[in-house]
Amino acid sequence: MEMSDNKIRIDIEGVEFGYSANPVLKNIGLTVNGPQLLSIIGPNGVGKSTLIHCINKILSPTKGVVCIDGEDVSSTTLKELAKKVGYVPYAANDAFTLSVVETVLIGRHPHSNWKSLDHDLDIVYETLRLINIEHLAMRSFDELSAGQHQKVMLARGLVQEPKILLLDEPTSNLDIKHQMEVTRIMRNLSQEKGILVIMISHDLNIAAKYSDNMIMLYDGEIYAAGTPEEVLTVENIKTVYDVESEVVVSHGRPHIIMLDPEFDDDVSPLDEETFIRKI
Amino acid sequence: MTFKEGKEEYYQGARKKVLFTTLCVIGVVAAFMISLTIGFYDLTVVECYQIIINHITGNIEDVMGDDIVWNTRLPISLYAIICGATLAVGGAIMQTILRNPLADPYTMGISSGASLGASLSIILGLSLWSGFSDDLSLVTMAFVFSLIPVGVILFFSIVRKTTPSKIILIGIAVMYMFSAITSLLMVTASEESLAEIYAWNIGSLATITWPDVPLPLIVSTLCIIFLYSQSRSINVMMSGENTSRSLGINTRRMTMICMVVISMMTAVVVCFCGTIGFVGLVGPHIARVFVGSETRYLLPASAAFGALFLLVANCIAMVAGTFGLPVGVVSSLIGCPLFIFLLLKMRRKAWK
Repeated sequence: MEMSDNKIRIDIEGVEFGYSANPVLKNIGLTVNGPQLLSIIGPNGVGKSTLIHCINKILSPTKGVVCIDGEDVSSTTLKELAKKVGYVPYAANDAFTLSVVETVLIGRHPHSNWKSLDHDLDIVYETLRLINIEHLAMRSFDELSAGQHQKVMLARGLVQEPKILLLDEPTSNLDIKHQMEVTRIMRNLSQEKGILVIMISHDLNIAAKYSDNMIMLYDGEIYAAGTPEEVLTVENIKTVYDVESEVVVSHGRPHIIMLDPEFDDDVSPLDEETFIRKI
Repeated sequence: MTFKEGKEEYYQGARKKVLFTTLCVIGVVAAFMISLTIGFYDLTVVECYQIIINHITGNIEDVMGDDIVWNTRLPISLYAIICGATLAVGGAIMQTILRNPLADPYTMGISSGASLGASLSIILGLSLWSGFSDDLSLVTMAFVFSLIPVGVILFFSIVRKTTPSKIILIGIAVMYMFSAITSLLMVTASEESLAEIYAWNIGSLATITWPDVPLPLIVSTLCIIFLYSQSRSINVMMSGENTSRSLGINTRRMTMICMVVISMMTAVVVCFCGTIGFVGLVGPHIARVFVGSETRYLLPASAAFGALFLLVANCIAMVAGTFGLPVGVVSSLIGCPLFIFLLLKMRRKAWK
């Protein structure tokens, strides 16, 4: 799974996108260079998914240019792009139930042909082993837990052998252990395989813990970009999410403690008749 | 589990899938041989094959027998194979590309269109060309009209972005409109015409003769080969539009190509025998129970099972009742219980 050359670069210049009259993205300008785990954060409906979809041509920006390694995405065919950019959707919604191997095998499509099944299976099993789900190989996708689903989807993105992997909320629906595990796997893979992993995240603390860099979107624009420490400041969180917070540093990473002035200092106790008790 | 074993496990599964298809193909051959010996005309098995051998070697002794076996049973059985395979493959691919287990080759309104064309021909005596015989008029009218709903769907797909759900809904809307026109025609129709239309809508192979066979055979074979050649891309489309696009597939183009190919082969087959239902919807699902939903295995398995199923249904249809029953009726009567049984009995989850 080694890359032939290690340069990875995304240049986004003046990108705008709008569904009819409502602009979702306004004048996005961004350069991302080199393998890393990059998180995109921001409130709901701010255009995080739209931005990702503009990178892998699921959507075409109404204005502006997206270049990958200097090549304009709009003049790259879907097939060529599929060899460079992988995508893991918010939730798997495959129409019919396949086994895990069959599900992951679909990700080999850009590289496969009629004779490549054996080689493709090698890569599928190698990837399943890499993220510790080889034992699930022949299980039906529908029988798995949410965390396992997410790992299978991640595996499908990885067997595509992309230089850039885009993930739309890969850790939603997961418990904290699996959130940490999946995010850690992505961070480690970005370094081991030299790929640029871009993920949308809603959990600021998980994103801050594992990401190399972060982008904070606000109102269709990039409000802040940089390391987690640079992006996750009390002021930024206040402006973008309209949430008061404290930021502490733990193990060299910022950690956000949410504050609620309308509640925190004014918690009224329950009356004595309302309780729970473990029996 | 070691690495090698894992891959071996997949291959083992794959061999089972190929085995199912092979068994179906063997079943088709066997059912085909048997079907030639079944019918109301009293001939023994030996006599039947003697007649076939005689025909091939060119010394026809029993002219009556030759007419029964060679000119009646043989084309009907062949047609059952073509028709079953075509409808089941059409259903399997429609379900996959539209990502909907309720889709079948008639989802695009082919049956309602064909039915209207047939009704226009039977009731009003309309024909595309005055020189056509009645039979040819019916076939050509059914064929041309069956493609109109597909044309409507394609038109909307080109001018507007259509999702699978929209395609299905447009198909249903067009179907209701065509059915309404057909019903309107039937109000004015004579009793004989009504019976004829009714029989046509159920679908029957009883009227198939040799001249009906070559065109569907060629068109269906080519279309099925084409669809199989695209099966890897079609398989990806199960993962949804966004994932498919990011895996390099122009989903819109692929959907339209598949719809055109499937509607062509379905229309060509259906215009000769009427709208045989069931096998196109349930055939692929029964195949799914045994081979799963990976397209490269599902397509051949559906073709083989569809052919086998319709052939067997036709054998029963030939001998049932006083004058035989329409194959459409028989296939639903035996197929529905079989399907529900498999649905409840099989552990494999082929559906959500």
